[in-house]
This record gives sequence, structure tokens and C-alpha cells, in this order.
Amino acid sequence: MTIRPASATLVLFFAGVVAVFSVSAPRFATATNIENLMSGFSFVAILAMGEAFPILVRGIDLSIGAIVGVVGMVVFDMTLIFHLPGYVVLPIALVIGALAGVVNGALIVFLRLQPFIATLATLAAYRGLIYAISGRQLVPGLTTTPIRDSWIIGIETYFDLGGRLGVSKLLTMPWFPLSFFIMLTVFAVLQTLLVKTRFGRDVQAVGGNSEAARLAGIDVRLVTVVAYGIAGICAAIAALILVARFTTSTEALGAGMELTAIASAVIGGVSLTGGVGSMFGPAVGAFLLGAVLLGLTLEGVPQFVQQITTGIVLLAAVGYDRLLLLRQKSGHAVGHAKVG
Amino acid sequence: MVDDKPASDRRSFFKTVVLGSAALAGAASGMFGVPIAGVQSPGIPLARAEGDRYKMAFIQWQPHTVPAAWSKGIEEVLKPQQVVDYELLDGQNKVEVQASLMDTLVNQGAAVIFLQPIDSVALAPSIAKAKRAGISVITLNIDATEPHAAHVEMNHYFGAMDIAKAMGDAMGGKGKVAILNAPPGIIIRDQRTNGFVDGLKKHHPNIQVVADQVADWDRKKAQDVLNTILAANPDLGGVYGVNDSMALGAVDVAKEKKLIGKLVIFGNDGEAGALESIAAGELTGTQYTDVYQQGRLAAAAAVVLATGGVPAGSFAKQSHLLMPYVIATKANVGTIQPSQRW
Repeated sequence: MTIRPASATLVLFFAGVVAVFSVSAPRFATATNIENLMSGFSFVAILAMGEAFPILVRGIDLSIGAIVGVVGMVVFDMTLIFHLPGYVVLPIALVIGALAGVVNGALIVFLRLQPFIATLATLAAYRGLIYAISGRQLVPGLTTTPIRDSWIIGIETYFDLGGRLGVSKLLTMPWFPLSFFIMLTVFAVLQTLLVKTRFGRDVQAVGGNSEAARLAGIDVRLVTVVAYGIAGICAAIAALILVARFTTSTEALGAGMELTAIASAVIGGVSLTGGVGSMFGPAVGAFLLGAVLLGLTLEGVPQFVQQITTGIVLLAAVGYDRLLLLRQKSGHAVGHAKVG
Repeated sequence: MVDDKPASDRRSFFKTVVLGSAALAGAASGMFGVPIAGVQSPGIPLARAEGDRYKMAFIQWQPHTVPAAWSKGIEEVLKPQQVVDYELLDGQNKVEVQASLMDTLVNQGAAVIFLQPIDSVALAPSIAKAKRAGISVITLNIDATEPHAAHVEMNHYFGAMDIAKAMGDAMGGKGKVAILNAPPGIIIRDQRTNGFVDGLKKHHPNIQVVADQVADWDRKKAQDVLNTILAANPDLGGVYGVNDSMALGAVDVAKEKKLIGKLVIFGNDGEAGALESIAAGELTGTQYTDVYQQGRLAAAAAVVLATGGVPAGSFAKQSHLLMPYVIATKANVGTIQPSQRW
């Protein structure tokens, strides 16, 4: 695995943010806050890792939040209207998410639409679909009925690892949410896929130069469609975590999450010009955003200032990545000059 | 991704890991010596006043005149107490943001949380978590399925029934009306719509609802939607906006099309702008609730719960307070005092 300077800087920046808030924000450095960070932002990390794939193939997925909403409502309907057991609902939810992502990819490669336009269109379409299939409208009483299926609600489980390991006698440990371990699993699978498989190399090649990739025999269309499918699956996993947390789904579930996911991916060093990035960066980027938001809230900073701060962090990340790119280019130029 | 890996980068990474670990270790040091009292799950400390002060916060749905007025009413009661630190937090119209803010307040050991939940079910687990931590939760306007200390709400359903009666009276008991509605999925939308429709059935069965369109609580959107409705129903006799912003959007259209006096328009909430419009003879009426008072009542309950040391889960049955209201029309709007206008 290649460690980019941007990734190392990101880790350093994250550590710095944590250190600063630990000193300045009351109750930031507590077990409960770490638990809140894990439970509140693991799903964002999963979304960001999923979003990284379309960006890696030089695209973007604006519909990822809407897919969260569609999958959430499908889970709601299947559980509360059709009374399907959770072990049936879970795989169906993943398939629906994958299909929604594949539709995005298909629109881009077969209709030759710009990714921005294609996924903007599906964002609107999927949001409309949520209202069309909303069990909350079809059966009004369900608005106040929570989902009780243990397979689904079980995703919102916490583990007292500190207690089990005997560490809790020495220090107060956070309880680890299952969603955090799901995030780690998604990270391991996707990172392996990206760096250890041919598909991963193809993704980087397509993002780097799709024409060169095509001439090298890579099925650019298939790679692109699968990349969007992965984003859809990640959105479905995030939806399941949210439905488990809230014991319901709403028509607005996932609204605006695409921007948080894109921001996390970009902060995590995934280049918007494609071909450059890993799964590590988006995951850390999501928790960095989470740490900033939690820290500022604990400090009593107004939320509009928090939003401005998030924007500044994003700009700084993009600027730094750009700077590295320019340095790299000038380095190559010097290298060539020396050779010449 | 496939950058070359110069040795300096690798060194830089290890340096980063070492520095990062040190920073995280420093952060973790804050976890020492904070024993958790009692048995809770998962890992939350019992809420209590920090020293002699009590932390209270109101998590609003999103910035709007109604929660702003509640917050003002709450502050009026809490500030003179001089032992309460109060803040207004923005849920940004997202359940995940509200849940995250609830978690943060639990972490802060708040004494009482005022909550305008976006969804009755979605925030229930967060309320349960707050209760386990000993924090009393008071909901405003939208109830939650998890029983909690108290719920203070406008009288949505019966108020809407009375709006239907007053509107039908103004229309002479017949004609066509349109509803400018909120997006689906919100419980008060259903209460305000169902109350209106049931009110028409009960008091004015000859009035027909010809359109029920979503205008997103928004004045500008209401203008666009009503223009479309009027194109299809030029003989429309009445418009009901489920909030005042949308009703005032209808007033804008009526002014432009010179329908003031012909189109009967009712809103719901009773904000200052709507009362001024009624006094000017533009908006026909609205359901007025003293929202400052609603905030004050919630705050008074909060002070009792916090300073009286009432445990968060000790209630036999959740308190439920329906606010009194009046159907404000030109005939009575002058009786609403300036200090009651929000």
C-alpha cells in the first residue's frame, strides 16, 4: 500500500485537531464523546469510501444520499408493511443499493451523460421514488410505528470491549458500536479490492486516463458501472445503520449526505481529477469532520460557524492536494530537464 | 494512488504515526479518573449540574419564527434563575444531526433537553438514551413515541377544525378550497390537514377540497403552487395554508391578481406578519397560539425537574399540555397584545 504525503498529513492534522479540542473543548476527551464520534460518523465514513470509487474513475455520485433514502424506505416497507424477516430484508437492501448505483453507471457509460448531470437526475428521481413508495404515506399509522426486527435493530449494538478486556478498571473506555466494526470491515474489503486486485488497478487506470486504459484492453464501461455499484452498496450499508439507529426511515433520510461524503473523500486526498486516492483517506476525512463538528459544538460555537469551518477545512484539503500535485509536476519537470 | 514511494515519504508517515499516537494518548488521558456512577448503557455518565449550574439546551428542527419564539420564551424564564446555562441548537432539518446533538448533550451532562423532534420515532432512541443518563426531555409541538418528561404542543387538530369552520362561514358554506401543504411524513402536517378536512365535513360539507399541494412551508413556493392551482380552478373560493408563511404566499398571489376580499385565506401558527396582514384586511385569519408562553411553560417545567431533583424516568405518565389558541380574524386580532406577538 502506498502512503501518500497527503494521507500522512491528514493523519497528523486529525491528531492535531483531536489534541487541540482535548485541551480546549470541555468533555471532548471523554469515552462518551469518542463513542459519539464512532456511532455518529461511521456511516459517513462508509459513504465517503463508497463515494471515492466514482471519483476515482473521474466521476462523481450526487445521488448517494438519495440512495440512502430509497434503501431506508424499502427496508421500512418490507419490514412494517410486508412483515418480511430481517435476514431477508438485509440482502434485498444491499441489492437495491447496488442496482441504484449500477443505474447511475449505466446512464454514464451507455448514454454518455456527464456524471454530474446523470447523478443529479437520479438524485431527483430517487428522491421522488422515496415519496412514491413511502409506507408512511401508504399506511399513515406507520409514521409512529418503530421497526422492531432484531436483525435490523441489532445493527445498533454496542460492545463493552474495555469491560471484557479488563481495561475498564483502569480507565473509562467507550463502548464500541457495531457500526464502527462494519466500517472497518468495509474499509478492509474495499482497500483490498483497490490495491490487491486487477479491478483496483483498472479503477486507477480508468481514472488516470480512460482512453489509455481502453487501449490497454481494460473494459472501461464495466469498471465504471461497477464503481458506481460499489457506491450504491455503501449507501445501502449506511442506510441500514441509520434505520437501525432511528428504528424507522423518513422521506428525508440521507438528504444532503452526498456533500458530506464528497467532502470527506476530498479531505481524505481522493483527487477530483480521478485515479488518485485510497480508502484510508475518506474514512479518516469523515472522522476528522466529525471531530471538528463535535469539538466546536462542545465549545459552544454557533452552528453556522461550524459550517464555515467545514468549508475552510475542505478548501484547505483541496488546496494542499493541489500544491502536492504542482510540486510533483515541477519535480518531474526538473527530473526530465536533468535527463535532457 | 500509485505514486512512487520515496523514502522521505515513508519517514514522514512514521513520524506522523508517532506524533498522532502521542496526540491521541494525550486526548485519551482525559478519560482517566472519570468514574461512571451507576449502571448505564452504553457508557454514559449520569446527568447532573456542573457545580451549581444546570445545562439546558433546545434542539430546534431548523431556524424558523416558531422555534425562535419558543427559545425566547424559554430564555425569559431561565435567565433570571442565574443557575442555568442555556443554548439554542440547530437540527438542520436532519434526524441524524438532531440525534448527534442529543448525544453531545448527554455527554455534556445536560439537566434538561428541549426538543422539537423532526420525527416521532427516529428521535425516540435518543430520548431513551438521555433518560438512561438521567436527563429529562421536554418535547415541543411534535411528540415522540418514547415516553418522556413532558410534551407541550399547539392544538393542531382541533385548531384546524376551527379554522375550517371559520373559513366555511366566511365562504357562505359553499365553494372550492385548496390546501397549501407541508411535505409528507411530518405528524403535524397530518394533524393540521386532517383537522381541517374533518372540520369541513362536520361544519361545511358543501365545501369541496379541489387541491392539496405541497409548498414546503415556504412563502415563495406557495406563490408558485397557488398560481398553478388557480389556473386549473379559477373559481377557487378559499385557501388554507398549514402554516402562516404559505398563507402569506397566497396573500401575495391574491394581491397580484386583485382577489383580496374574494379569496378567503387562512393560515396557521399566528406569527406577527400574519396578524399584521389580518389587520390590513388581506389574510382572512389564522390560528393564533402564544408561542412565547409555550416556551415559558416548557422552561418552568424544566426548572422544576432540574432543581427539584426529579429523576428523568420517575413520571408515571408523560405530561401532555395542549396550548390554548384563538382563531384570529379582523374582528379580534386587535386584542392580541404587542408583547404576545412573535
